[in-house]
Amino acid sequence: MSARSAKQTVLVTGAAGFVGARVVEMFHMTGAAEVRAGIRQWSSPGVARLARFPVDIVFCDVMNRGQVEKAMDGVTTIVHSVLGDGKVNVEGTHNLLEAAKKHGVQRFVHLSTAEVYGEPSGKIVETTPYGYTGWEYSDSKIEAEKLCFEYYAQGVPITVLRPSIIYGPFSKMWIIRFAKRLQSGRLGIFKGYGEGYCNLIYIDDLVQGIWLAANHDAAIGEAFNMNGPEIITWNEYFRRLNAALHLPDLPEISPLRARFKAISVDLTRSILVFIQNHMSKRMKKRLIGGTRRTAMGQLADSARSSVRAAVLLRELDHLYSRNAIYVATKAQRMLSYRPKYDVDTSLQLSVAWLAHHGFFS
Amino acid sequence: MNENNRAQRRSVSYAPRIAIIGCGAITELFYLPALAKRRDILQKLILVDNNAERLQKVAAKCPGVTLRTDYRDILDKVEGAIVAVPHQSHYPISMDFLRKGVHVLCEKPLAEDPDEAGEMVAQAEKSGVTLSVNHTQRLFPANIKIKELLVQGKFGKPLYMRYAWGDEFAWPTASGFYFNPKIRKGGVLLDRGPHALDLICWWLGYKPELVLSENDSFGGIEAVAHVRFKSCDCIIEVKLSWLSVLSNSYALRCELAEIENNFLSWWQLPIRHKSGKVEIIPLHSSERHYNDFGAKIVSNFIDVIRKGNAPLIPASEVIPSIELIQECYAKAQRFNLPWYENLEIPNVSPVR
Repeated sequence: MSARSAKQTVLVTGAAGFVGARVVEMFHMTGAAEVRAGIRQWSSPGVARLARFPVDIVFCDVMNRGQVEKAMDGVTTIVHSVLGDGKVNVEGTHNLLEAAKKHGVQRFVHLSTAEVYGEPSGKIVETTPYGYTGWEYSDSKIEAEKLCFEYYAQGVPITVLRPSIIYGPFSKMWIIRFAKRLQSGRLGIFKGYGEGYCNLIYIDDLVQGIWLAANHDAAIGEAFNMNGPEIITWNEYFRRLNAALHLPDLPEISPLRARFKAISVDLTRSILVFIQNHMSKRMKKRLIGGTRRTAMGQLADSARSSVRAAVLLRELDHLYSRNAIYVATKAQRMLSYRPKYDVDTSLQLSVAWLAHHGFFS
Repeated sequence: MNENNRAQRRSVSYAPRIAIIGCGAITELFYLPALAKRRDILQKLILVDNNAERLQKVAAKCPGVTLRTDYRDILDKVEGAIVAVPHQSHYPISMDFLRKGVHVLCEKPLAEDPDEAGEMVAQAEKSGVTLSVNHTQRLFPANIKIKELLVQGKFGKPLYMRYAWGDEFAWPTASGFYFNPKIRKGGVLLDRGPHALDLICWWLGYKPELVLSENDSFGGIEAVAHVRFKSCDCIIEVKLSWLSVLSNSYALRCELAEIENNFLSWWQLPIRHKSGKVEIIPLHSSERHYNDFGAKIVSNFIDVIRKGNAPLIPASEVIPSIELIQECYAKAQRFNLPWYENLEIPNVSPVR
């Protein structure tokens, strides 16, 4: 087993996203590599985050082969962390793999997801078969992985990483959304629902895993689960985040109440989406108003924010109850992966970040 | 400007020839919709951008306008120029027009440097033309009302001010110049600071003293900035962000009353008097969208040229805010950001 020594030039796709931006930040700040941050457009929210560092920011829309070709010039390593719809996940990955093959890159780290296993239970290892669920995101990630292994057979040195629930500063999905829910009193301890495992991995531990995958020869052609050092239940996660936010103790929510509320929210959400999709732009403007909202606009804003903050039926049935642990022992054994951020430390950093960004004001 | 032009200018029906320099998002979203309502002006409009592709794209929305890729070709062919280019070019381009005796309406920030701003104002005076700047928030009825009430002394002495403006950067910038440290001297403070700091200087009537300046630059362009000023007994806090939603409001606490308002709620002013009574002053405004204020700015600029009216926001008035921004950058220190401390990437060593 050998390690790579010369300084790499790493192209990070999806660099304006949650994972991509942290890869750029950590590789740059530690001096580990020369980083090229690939973005789709200047107005992506994460570009302002990247521009705080003197790193090379380039256009790299993975659906645009010309841009991909240009961005890849002189690159030794690719970290592919684009989060897109099904088409982008599959076609975009294909475009990138094709260009990587042509340019003869030394490493291609593909960020996949633990969702490729579907909704299993028990201890999940890398040999657990794919599980199609009909959900566009996870199904397209399976297809993207299959493409990676096809290109591996053609000589592209790929590594696939399957992280679980990635959280930490800048996480909209698992920090901001849940902090807002807790703050608004919409979250509690779900009796009968929230005892499934919450496989949390702090973002910096994942970046450590990405670095190891990009550098260990043993990583080539392999898939690795990526998980944190501590496995807790979802109810425990809500409890600890709530405590880190210094909020009053959480109430218990009965299964019947949780289900009834989630069904009402799903229904309201469907109605709002229907109205939005069937109303002309002009009519919408007239009814809702502009910066200066009409009364109906204010009502629509309030309904939208309530629905966004509410727990969906899908979450209750498919996430909080899932009894699966994504075991990362293969990465520990083959790559010396050692996650170091426990839940409390991770939440402490995340809450400090929330405070910095005016969450409590 | 010859005698004929001057005579024409006196005619109310006369439509001056105006050029817009720069076809970025601000031209597309703010100036062109406003000018589209002025058919007479639009017929004589010249659009300029050094990116021909971008120029054609924007011009497609107003067929028939004259197009140029170099503003120097039209320096003596227009009476007014709207300068809406990346910030670092405001100074040189405005100066070229001012030297030729052309009225200029410049986007904010007027300049990146107070000395340059001072030169621009001096050149306008020397050439006998006007130099104005688009600080849209100065036109908000609520902000004008605050100024009036403070000048009249209705609130007593100001004791505390806070201004917070933050959301994820989503401006559809065409060139991405905001994020190019090679050509830009700053980030969110240079972008949103001109509005915030100008309002504060304008409300107070003078420039406060800088106490603290923090931002999150790591050698690039800052995305979050916090500055604190003081002025007599008044503490002033400003927080600006391109990364997250802030309260997007301002607050003023004075001896006799308090105001807290969403900074985009220009049509009303809520006041809490010392007695505890809450009063909401409704203010007349036909504008429903932020960009509707473009019509007001453009209309004024046309009347400045045509009738010799005074500009709504003379450039000379915003220089204190540009001085403050420069001071903020000079004294800036990095925030304490624990999630950027002790970062480690493991050494990769052979594994058995």
